Amino acid sequence: MSTGQIHDLGYKRYAGSRRSVATRWRVIMRHQIAMAWKTWWRFKAWLILAVLATGITIALLYAFSTSVFRIFAGLAGERPQFVAVLLPLSLFWYCNIAFFASLFVAVPAVAGDLQSGAFTFYFARSLRPRDYVIGKLAGIAAMLSLIILAGPLALAIARLGLSDNLDQVIALLPTLPRALAIGALGTLIYTAVPLGFSAVVARRGHAIALWVGYYVVFGAMVNALGRASSPLVASLDLAESLRTVALELYDLHMAGRRDLDIPVSAAVISILGQAAIAIGLVVWRVRRAQQTGVGGAS
Amino acid sequence: MTARIERTETGASVPHLIDLAGLTKRYGAITALDRVTAAVDGKIIGLLGPNGAGKSTLLKCLLGLLPYDGAAHVLGLEAARDGAEIRDRVGYMPEQEAFLSGMSAVELCTYAGELSGLPHTEAMQRAHAALYYAGLEEKRYQPIDGYSTGMKQRVKLAQALVHDPEILFLDEPTNGLDPQSREEMLQLIVDLPDRRGCAIVLSTHLLPDVERVCDHAVIMHRGAVRFAGTIDDLRGTRGRDSELVVTVKADAARLGEALTAAGATCAVSSPVVLHVDLPANATSRLVFATARAAGLQVRELGVRRESVEAAFLRVLGETGGPGGDPPYRALPGEPGAAGGPR
Repeated sequence: MSTGQIHDLGYKRYAGSRRSVATRWRVIMRHQIAMAWKTWWRFKAWLILAVLATGITIALLYAFSTSVFRIFAGLAGERPQFVAVLLPLSLFWYCNIAFFASLFVAVPAVAGDLQSGAFTFYFARSLRPRDYVIGKLAGIAAMLSLIILAGPLALAIARLGLSDNLDQVIALLPTLPRALAIGALGTLIYTAVPLGFSAVVARRGHAIALWVGYYVVFGAMVNALGRASSPLVASLDLAESLRTVALELYDLHMAGRRDLDIPVSAAVISILGQAAIAIGLVVWRVRRAQQTGVGGAS
Repeated sequence: MTARIERTETGASVPHLIDLAGLTKRYGAITALDRVTAAVDGKIIGLLGPNGAGKSTLLKCLLGLLPYDGAAHVLGLEAARDGAEIRDRVGYMPEQEAFLSGMSAVELCTYAGELSGLPHTEAMQRAHAALYYAGLEEKRYQPIDGYSTGMKQRVKLAQALVHDPEILFLDEPTNGLDPQSREEMLQLIVDLPDRRGCAIVLSTHLLPDVERVCDHAVIMHRGAVRFAGTIDDLRGTRGRDSELVVTVKADAARLGEALTAAGATCAVSSPVVLHVDLPANATSRLVFATARAAGLQVRELGVRRESVEAAFLRVLGETGGPGGDPPYRALPGEPGAAGGPR
């Protein structure tokens, strides 16, 4: 470090235009992505896992579609049933990967800023609470959508590409918007809800514990309660609700799920409601932090 | 609402840096700022006051972060309405740590520049320049988490500078620094107005820092501005021509005895320095005449000035009101300072 020596590096006052305040959420979004991309364990590892899962599933789809497999399986040209099942089933591992990614990408987002006093850094600038919230949500959603949206969509495209004829292509076309819808709901779950927990406590570790407890323990509890009583209770289980929507959209009715017949509308309302509450919590916390953060506490 | 404008000799209008008119902020039943009216200008302005005086609330109002009654203008902009624009033109160096973990100094400053509206390339160039200015050129790629207190203070200064602010709010910038780092930080602050063309509002409890770097001061107490003006005015309001500091070549004590005999009140502060309160109607001629008669040589004679600390205590003491607060004594922690919201 220098000892009091001052360098100016040919300093001149900035005279150019400034980015509009309304677009500064993009800076936060980019920063969110850049920070997650910096290390292997935050996001890259989970993305690689999702890519591997997608690759293996596409390979299975291809293998099951070949005439050699059909002959060996004795299906005489008929496509085996589990090809149709692979798409909705794939959601199981995408959900798990997205959940683990959310632990490192979504949960620390607000809690980390609360812990390090970063709100003072943010709100001493011309940044509005909504820019902060939108930026964080967009950054996390962009990353998690690569897992929970792009994965199923890639499978749906692959399934389309492996069609036997044009009629089958046309018949399978609705798979694409369905995969998009499921991916969008999944992205909302794994972005908004952990971010809500992130805003509740000002320590990263506690926020992670809360999210794990809610998703895994509370989810399992309401799932079991739902089987014993009303399926509506089970709709509070986020993963189960997403699976319900996926099975409905893919028009698949699985034998093991007969005792848990969650209405699709209840599943969708549950997902949207929980996400809305979580975003509301983030907005409340950030607004509060904006007014108290700069210049000391009030 | 419009800012009060001063007219220059050419007729051009120049708004005050900060212009407050009846600024009032209440938290429920507690009045944090009570009809504050002041026009503040200067290069380096010390914002002084005990804990609970309303400094932080004033700062938040000026940055447009809190709603308020009355008017508060910064650089001619109304804070309640143009808060975002003000924050683009103002830099803030917080007292507490306000870093994002896992970032290097150059990443943090670049991010700060972009959040203030600079394009990425410009923000990065200015981040390097600001870190050079703050004396962190060798360490700027290292994670901030591993920095010493002094280095963190420098990063805070750099991130506040990166977007070219016209006013820089510095909140306790020398807190926790060793004497050498403190001196370096003060030197950086002193040089900023000329090198970067920005005014500085320095909020601090360390009155020697104010005396060292500030040309103006604003003293707040119990939600009101008790003084706003130049440091010379602050100290000079107490200085009278009849209170002198006399430096002699030798034997100040003997001159003191002679002046006492002539009706003055004297206090010898060193073998060569004497504080003199002249009797009524006497002038400095009495000192010269007495010294000549005693065979002593006067080297220097000046009007005795209060220190900023003494002036500050006096301003607070004068405004304590009936049964008011005790004078401001404990500077850094102020356990006995006036209460109320910050």
